[in-house]
Amino acid sequence: MRASAPKKLSQPLPTHEPEEFDKLYRDHVDLIYRYAHRLCGEAEAAKDLVQETFLNAYRGLKDFRGEAQVSTWLYTIASRACIRMRRKRKGEPEHELSLDEFVPTSEGEFRLQIPMDGLSPEEALQNKELRQGLDQAIEALPKKYRMVLVLRDMEGLSAKEVGNIMGLNERAVKSRLHRARLFVRRELSARGITNHDDHKSGGLRS
Amino acid sequence: MPGQSHCVDLLRQLSAYIDDELPSDICQEIRRHLGACPNCEVFIVSLQQTVTLCRHRPVPPLKSVDRVAMRRAILDAANAW
Repeated sequence: MRASAPKKLSQPLPTHEPEEFDKLYRDHVDLIYRYAHRLCGEAEAAKDLVQETFLNAYRGLKDFRGEAQVSTWLYTIASRACIRMRRKRKGEPEHELSLDEFVPTSEGEFRLQIPMDGLSPEEALQNKELRQGLDQAIEALPKKYRMVLVLRDMEGLSAKEVGNIMGLNERAVKSRLHRARLFVRRELSARGITNHDDHKSGGLRS
Repeated sequence: MPGQSHCVDLLRQLSAYIDDELPSDICQEIRRHLGACPNCEVFIVSLQQTVTLCRHRPVPPLKSVDRVAMRRAILDAANAW
């Protein structure tokens, strides 16, 4: 799902060279915007995060030795900037997701379903209610779980790459990912989304 | 619920199963359980669908005007630093 193949710089980039920065920006701004939009859930906050990311990248170009892929380096900067910005903005409390809270206690909870029978994911996501439900479920995740889900399941990175970006071992990445998926599944399936045919009437795309 | 402890064990491993990270003997055991437990069958389908929806959720593209404006703002901020 990645927009472009990650590029590896053979040499450190000189600092404060607009041409080098322009290349970095041009090649990766769409990738980082997409990541930022998925983390923040809306365009304005995503643009703030993109600017913060590339400003930090610009300042850090002289220290970047090309040992990591450029995209991994930028994902790392963006992830750290996101954590700082959210702390500043909301002071939002972090809470742990326990596996126990996802153990169904009734047959009904086991049997909750996502309303996409017979539809491709693209068709299912044309249902505005389902699309909003998915976005809200992801937004409701504590950020350390949201970040793992976005990087792994939406950006398509490997568990190892996510671990490098977030400073976690693979086991921790997989544990967070599993809890995040269970959380989104429960939120989504518990909403009772019904109107499968919305997309046929048009006008539902954002 | 029938075989509930088995179901809970399975629930703990579902992402690893979906991501094809488990040894084949454990996968076989899970498949056997799924065949005999409609609750877990429905549960895993809904979890797989959740992952599929995440993978396919599109993001509106960045507008050209925003791409240009952000570049300008970043360079202005960098030069003012």
